[in-house]
Amino acid sequence: MTDTPAHPTDPFDAEALNAAEGLDPVDPAYAQVLRIATALNLIPLAIGASVFDALLIRHIEGPYGLITAAAWVIAAIVIVSFPSRRVSRWGYRIGEGQLRVARGWLFRTDTIVPFVRVQHIDVGQGPIERWFGLSHLIVHTSGTHNSTVTLPGLHADLAAAMRETIRRHIQTDFA
Amino acid sequence: MSDGAVIAATESEPDWQRLHPATLALAVVKLGPRSLNFLPAVAALGFTGNWVYIVPAIGAFLLISLLAAWFHWLRFRFLVGDDEVVIESGVFARQHRTIPFDRIQDVGIEQGLVARALGIAKVGFETGAGGKENDASLDAIALDSAQALRATIRAHRSGEVAAPVAADAPEASPATEDRLLFAMGPRQLLLAGLFNFSLAALAVVGAGMQFFDGLLPFDFNVFNPRDWIDIAEDYGLDQWVIAHRWVAGVGAAISLIFIGFASGIATMFFANWDFRLTREPRTLRRTRGLTTRTDVAVPVKRVQAAILVTGWFRQRFGWHELRLQSLASDGGKENDHQVVPFAKLDAIDPVLDEVAIRRSDAGQSWQRSHGIVALGGLIGAVGATTGGLVAVSFGQELGWFGPVAGLLIGAGSLFGARFHRWADLGEQVAIRRGAWKPKTTLLPHASVQSVDLKSDFILRPLGLATLVFGVPGGSALAAHEIPAIPLAAAQDLRTRILAARARS
Repeated sequence: MTDTPAHPTDPFDAEALNAAEGLDPVDPAYAQVLRIATALNLIPLAIGASVFDALLIRHIEGPYGLITAAAWVIAAIVIVSFPSRRVSRWGYRIGEGQLRVARGWLFRTDTIVPFVRVQHIDVGQGPIERWFGLSHLIVHTSGTHNSTVTLPGLHADLAAAMRETIRRHIQTDFA
Repeated sequence: MSDGAVIAATESEPDWQRLHPATLALAVVKLGPRSLNFLPAVAALGFTGNWVYIVPAIGAFLLISLLAAWFHWLRFRFLVGDDEVVIESGVFARQHRTIPFDRIQDVGIEQGLVARALGIAKVGFETGAGGKENDASLDAIALDSAQALRATIRAHRSGEVAAPVAADAPEASPATEDRLLFAMGPRQLLLAGLFNFSLAALAVVGAGMQFFDGLLPFDFNVFNPRDWIDIAEDYGLDQWVIAHRWVAGVGAAISLIFIGFASGIATMFFANWDFRLTREPRTLRRTRGLTTRTDVAVPVKRVQAAILVTGWFRQRFGWHELRLQSLASDGGKENDHQVVPFAKLDAIDPVLDEVAIRRSDAGQSWQRSHGIVALGGLIGAVGATTGGLVAVSFGQELGWFGPVAGLLIGAGSLFGARFHRWADLGEQVAIRRGAWKPKTTLLPHASVQSVDLKSDFILRPLGLATLVFGVPGGSALAAHEIPAIPLAAAQDLRTRILAARARS
């Protein structure tokens, strides 16, 4: 696409990654969505670890409290720091008849779907996303690999506008 | 739903049809393997001493199964309309399915041994919907009505899309009549069977070899004498082997080689007997099989990619196999259509011409993937070696297989990494991989639905990236990816592929 030189590979400089590849960032509020989703996953796990600790480790007179502390500290770190970093790795670009979605850093995948190859489009909104006024866009292609490409963290109006843009292209292809 | 309503509907629309009554006979045959499920119950009755109940229990099982089959038959009906097929099925939960002819990519006709004796055939409708369970089938109707049904659907499709196809297909005039593209006689089948020497069949013979099967990239470690002795033990020859080790080894080897050839020839004959590939107005049609005859039509416009498969040995004689990846899939296991099982390239080229895919010529310059693709295999080799050495340190002699296997896996992956190649042929990409069983995928740019450019913490510092293409149809043989090529080349190729026009 853009003839970029080798982009910075500093894992802590995520802004540079998206900017160097000519990508737009997703809405920062998506970090809150991810954070709540992560919390909903991790807190039950941490509670489970605490119960395990209280029931079993104390029973066998092991070092009580170690597992509980570790579980809650790890959960807190993951909930506080990871979501915003993950969000900054997502990038998208809509233009020249194609949608480009990039995600991840350790394993980065940069997907391009030409609008004319799109079979149908979904705009979805989960309860947490609705809270923050966000939506996610799902693009379906007929390929076996990548049959769905998901772009989360879009402002609801933007997602609807993107859907309209892509839909117009699907129609013009049949003309 | 009451019976009266069903009868009234049947009377007002007299076109509703049922499956062939002989389907019930087929159900009886299918009962054989299914009654295995019943064995534990019989055993339980026997162990508890209730011998008298065994015969009534089996009788009740048979009766219930047959009644179920009969009800199923009674409640299954289908209607062939002007432009759609309607199928209603289900004993308690009724299912009503409408399939427009426009959406049927492919009509397959399959006959098993019993079905051939009864003159009936199973008709499968491929709609291109994801997943096998979404495709409808009529199991089974009379063979002539199956062929008539397919002719109806094909006539409908060709009548509708005649104009645009004639415009962009240069070979429109020869395509108007059926033409034999490729056939295999007994002599060719025998030759193909000899090359089909099946090491996989050998692996079934001995459990020891199955152990190796899982560890090695190929089926059997031919160079390891311990494997051969294992097999001798299976034949109860172990005492004699100790006395005359080499004679027994040679004898076992000869008999195993014979088994390998015989099974290769037999599978080839059973699968491809009377193989015929014909070009029909809009499809390539393949009929084959000795006991189970299948009849599959691949719509030419739906072909997405071609895969040329060969072997390290047969390659030297110029023998190849051609598979076409289409929107519709083939049979239960395969995700692509084998249209030429065994032929030289000059016999394959006419078939490729029909689907407008060009083969890379001999002088093609290929670009290689980076050697880093061997990394996965090397990690596996290190793992096997470490595991084996740990076992040895615990006094387990068998642990020495770990380092041996590790060395072989490492050497194999290093060697195989040299065979990951790709070339851009202008209108299509050719991707080649494999040393043991080289596969060349010819992927037209226009088939690509989406492109992934992947990199990770290993590839990125090396300035490499992996391209993965989303192609309709999917194939077990070839993932459409070019691993570990320079980032600039990957981006350049991606731009060119995405510029191509859609292939519908």
